[in-house]
Amino acid sequence: MNEPPQEPVKYVESKVYLPYDYIAGDYKARYLAALKDKRILGSKCSQTGKVFVPPLICSPESFAPCTEFVDVPDRGVITTFCTVNIPVIGRDIELPYVAASVALDGAAISIFALIQECKPADVRMGMRVEAVWRPDGERHGDHQDILYFRPTGEPDERPESYINRL
Amino acid sequence: MSTLRNVAIVGFAQLPVVARDEHRISTEMLYPVVRQALADCGVERDAIDYQIAGSVDYMDGRPFGFVSALDVMGSWPPRQDLHLEMDAAFCAYYAWLRMQTGDCDSALVVGHGKTSEGEPDRVLNLQLDPYYQAPIGLDPTSSCALQASAYMARTGATDTDLAAIAARNRAAGARNSDNQVRSAASATELQKTPWAVEPLRKGYLPPVGESATCMILAAEGKAEKLCDRPVWIHGTDHRTEMQTLGARDLSRSASAKLAGEKALAMAGLSRASDADVVELYATTPVEELIVCEALGLDAKAARPVINPSGGPLCAHPIMSTGLVRMGEIFRQLSGRAGDRAVANARRGIAHAMQGHCLQQNLVWVLGTERRWS
Repeated sequence: MNEPPQEPVKYVESKVYLPYDYIAGDYKARYLAALKDKRILGSKCSQTGKVFVPPLICSPESFAPCTEFVDVPDRGVITTFCTVNIPVIGRDIELPYVAASVALDGAAISIFALIQECKPADVRMGMRVEAVWRPDGERHGDHQDILYFRPTGEPDERPESYINRL
Repeated sequence: MSTLRNVAIVGFAQLPVVARDEHRISTEMLYPVVRQALADCGVERDAIDYQIAGSVDYMDGRPFGFVSALDVMGSWPPRQDLHLEMDAAFCAYYAWLRMQTGDCDSALVVGHGKTSEGEPDRVLNLQLDPYYQAPIGLDPTSSCALQASAYMARTGATDTDLAAIAARNRAAGARNSDNQVRSAASATELQKTPWAVEPLRKGYLPPVGESATCMILAAEGKAEKLCDRPVWIHGTDHRTEMQTLGARDLSRSASAKLAGEKALAMAGLSRASDADVVELYATTPVEELIVCEALGLDAKAARPVINPSGGPLCAHPIMSTGLVRMGEIFRQLSGRAGDRAVANARRGIAHAMQGHCLQQNLVWVLGTERRWS
């Protein structure tokens, strides 16, 4: 048992175990809770009136506090996108699929979204999309409550409307 | 004539330290503190040239968590910024250096860290080497206990001596509403607390908590405009020593000694006891005794007053504990210390450390008057 090793020790295996117990924080907690009710919350800059989704405590741009929460519609515009052709760990989606930045109507910044119910080749900047929610009773107040976004069929938006909301 | 610039602390704000803030993530804790520090100086964010943050992403487990702090530091239009994985007191040192080079005149220094979301003992274990020290499970309490044994063996200090130091801190800390522990405790009571890691008792260990802190530094010319009573930096020095615990004399702090000597020399002082008030980043009574010895202070003397804030034994917001020491000296010397004010305090010393067993030490000598004319 205590014989010296026959081979020189070349490696040391060192496993790092760091558990975490996250809190969401007031702003994100309200945002996540609202998803259960099919509502999307943003926070409004007290100086410029810009709305941030998910809500932020202050405007990173003006540094003014965002004290007011506002509802934003569950629809918006694709500001930019990419077509994913490789599998991603933890995501079981048929390839290829489109991951997009979607600026919800009235929001100053965009959120990330999966685009479904259309061919990847048909997706374009300026395309109007809407959220498809998990059915009632199955929403838990997390980001999975929105299954994906799909095209609405409305006319495309012009770049001027979304170019500063990428 | 000195080539050094006069730089002053002109503002300091902190959140009261708590074990766990259930409602705010790190950025949500930091934002009101930055706003308050700026408001106290009567300026908007644009008035400050430079910004630097002290935090460790391992602490709250959010990759690039330090980047999210930029959103609440006022980083638009684009700013000069730096982040250190060290206590914010070391960020202040870096900002001071930048000001000495002349490339900025004012700086926002912040410290933040949600210690309650991770396990600080596991995180701080990773400061040690991965071959010999980290795998045996050394955490700050056990490395402090090794140091305590070494110190007590060399000096003959007893459990009673340790209890007396802890009791003094606890008595002082009861007056500080920013502290996590705000109850006094007698030496006798503390000596009855069980061993954490012998020879350290639970009563001799800091309550690890979380806070957010913000200090504003400014160079002469600007400092007077931001603060009615700026607290000037007279001297500072930062020294580090070996990581390997076994290669150091753990019963002493060579780096605290050297940093103290250099900082005092810069300040034109011959001894640390010329200060009226001292704040030490000592997480155990033994660390306090070792740093006092290194700086040439008597931990039992009435003057200078040591840790009027209560010190880390009453509040230990990792990443901000050192900056709070500077903040307390700022409060003491600028008439902001309320009912714990040290009478006639004109000169103070703030100490900060990082690493196991006082590996790195930073000493500030601060005063109410400008150092250089």
